[in-house]
Formats: sequence, C-alpha cells, structure tokens
Amino acid sequence: MTTIILISLAVVSFLVSATKSKSKTLMSLKIAKGLFLSIFIQIISVMALIGLMLAVIPQQTIENLLGSGNELLSTFYGALIGTVTIIPGFIAFPLSKSLYESGAHLIAIAAFITTLTMVGFATIPIERKYFGNKFTIYRNSLSFVFAICIALGMGLIL
Amino acid sequence: MKKIILKNKILTITLFLYLSVLIFNPTVFSKALSITWGFILEMLQVMIPIMVISSLITVWISREVIMKHFGQGSGIKGKGISLLIGAFSAGPIYAAFPMAKTLLDKGASIGNIVIIISSWAVIKVPMLLVEINFLGPAFAGTRYLLTIPFILLLGFVMDKALKYSDLSCDKNFGIAEKTEEIYERLPKVNCGLCAYKSCREMALAVYEGRAVLNECAVLKDGEKDGI
Repeated sequence: MTTIILISLAVVSFLVSATKSKSKTLMSLKIAKGLFLSIFIQIISVMALIGLMLAVIPQQTIENLLGSGNELLSTFYGALIGTVTIIPGFIAFPLSKSLYESGAHLIAIAAFITTLTMVGFATIPIERKYFGNKFTIYRNSLSFVFAICIALGMGLIL
Repeated sequence: MKKIILKNKILTITLFLYLSVLIFNPTVFSKALSITWGFILEMLQVMIPIMVISSLITVWISREVIMKHFGQGSGIKGKGISLLIGAFSAGPIYAAFPMAKTLLDKGASIGNIVIIISSWAVIKVPMLLVEINFLGPAFAGTRYLLTIPFILLLGFVMDKALKYSDLSCDKNFGIAEKTEEIYERLPKVNCGLCAYKSCREMALAVYEGRAVLNECAVLKDGEKDGI
C-alpha cells in the first residue's frame, strides 16, 4: 500500500520536474543512477546473506530461545535475534503470535519486534557507507538499549 | 583482483557461502535463493522511487529550505515532520539511508536524521494495523506509545553526542578549511560518477591537485570555473 503511494509520488514529482525544467530533471536522473549504482551490490549481498541465514536456521530454534527458561534471558535472546536478522513485518508478526501462543514471554516478543526493526546488524555495512562508523555504532547500540527499555516498560504496563 | 575482493568483502563472503551450500545442501540453496529473490523484488520496488525522490530533492530544494525545516533550530516542528516522514514512508530501514543522507547534506540536523531513520523503521501506519491484527491493540498500542518518546530521546542524544565532522567517512576530514570550501561548491550527492566515492573525497583530491572540478559529472560548465 505505502509502496504504491511511494511509487506514485516519485512518478508525479518526476513528471512535474520534467515539465518545469528538462535539464534539471536529466541531472536528477543522473544523480539517481549514481546513487543506485553506488549501493546496489552491497544491498544485494546483504540480502542474499540474510536469505541464506533464514533458510538455514529453522523456526523451531527461534521458538526455543524465546520461549523457555527465565524471562530476562529470553528477553535478551529476543533482542539479539531481532538485531541480527531482518525479517519482513508480514512474516514477523504471525511468527510472534505463534511464539506467544506456544509460551514465549511477552517482553521477549516486544524486544524481538522492536530490535528487529530499529537495530540492523545486517545493514551496518550499508549504514556506515552513508554515515560513517561513529554514527552507525552509536545509533545501533543506543537503539538496542532503548529497545530493551521499551520491552521492559511493556512488561511493567501489560 | 585482490582490490575487487577487498572492495566487495560482503559479496565475496556471500558468494563463498552460497557455493558451499550448493555443494553440501542443494535444498537449502534453492530455499535461500527464493527468499533472496523476494527481498530483491521488494527492494527494487522501494529503492528506485526513493532514489528518484532523493535526487529530485537534491536538484530542486534549496539548502535554506531544508535547514529551516530540519536544521538545528527547527525545534519541535522539525521533529514532528521527521516523525511523520518516517511513519508514512515505505520499505525497510536501509531505504531510509539515501533519503536521510540527502537531507543531511542539505543541512538537516543529526537529531532529525536519526528520528527519520528510526521512525522509518519502527513507526509504520500499515504495519500498526498488521500488528494489531496479530498481537492485539493493547500490545501494539503500548509498544507504539513507548517507542515514540524513545525515538525522540535517541535523536536528542545523537544530536548531543555527534558533530557533523563525525559523519564524514573520510579519515582526513578537517585536514584543511580549503577542502571544505571546494566541497561546498560540489553538488554533494556522492554520485560516484567521477573517480571518487564521495564528493568529500573528490574535494580532497582537488585540493591536493590530483583532480580538477571538470571531472564532476553533475556540475554545470558555468559552475566549474575558479579553481
């Protein structure tokens, strides 16, 4: 849905730009091509790596880590798994539900979902290419800590 | 050869892993390939429009406008717009990077960039609906209400902790004001069409006499004079 909006936005602004100035639009196309080519290989490699990881690690392993043992430990596991993987939301939410029903802790699931989206271990090589090492390390480690805070807060409230 | 491998470390590792999986476990290989293919389709749908919009921003919107809305003094309004941009965007977190970088180079504050990236990843209107559907409104609602203040806090801390100069990938940053002066004249799009990875590197090369502004593919002829 948002993808459709995004694509239409790009098409519309491109057409508006083209009617206003041909040379500026051509320049922007050149820039867009450069932007895309400069990061293309990196993104494909990272995604292939994640694809391989998801194919190798069975869902059962994730369920075991998030469900059993003590709550604090599984929260930490949840945050950790969320950090190192990128799973699209449409897979992650049904997965979380089945995890919850099979006995995973609520806090662990909250930590899992939050780090899954906010902290990207896999995307670090892409992020540092844009913003440098310091920014990337700061943002990801702070996000990790905050994600655990959010999860603990949810444990208190719910 | 060695240079190419070093430059594409991740690609090399990935290819190596895929090759070994192909030999030892072909089922996993084809499964991994189909998952990756899904990712790539999703990426192309999102990344191409993002790149187009980012470069249109580069060409059309002036530095002053961006600074006014996203810069150091933009206050609560700037933070609000940043949150909304993230919330109504599409695609995974890496799709936020080129857009955020474009705004950053045009004078947006580090805090607002961080807010855009984080809310892009976490606060999604359609995702909220999916989350409510599967995990219930109490869970999803609480998570969102807790996450928003933390994202603002994250932006605040990053703004205080980092300076613009920390963001440069160029280790020689700060070598000379002169480099900065040259950099200011470049388009700052890091398009890579010249021999350099970023406009900063190009500026350094011009400063050290290894390059001339003419090598920039984006600048127009009239803008290349003087150095």
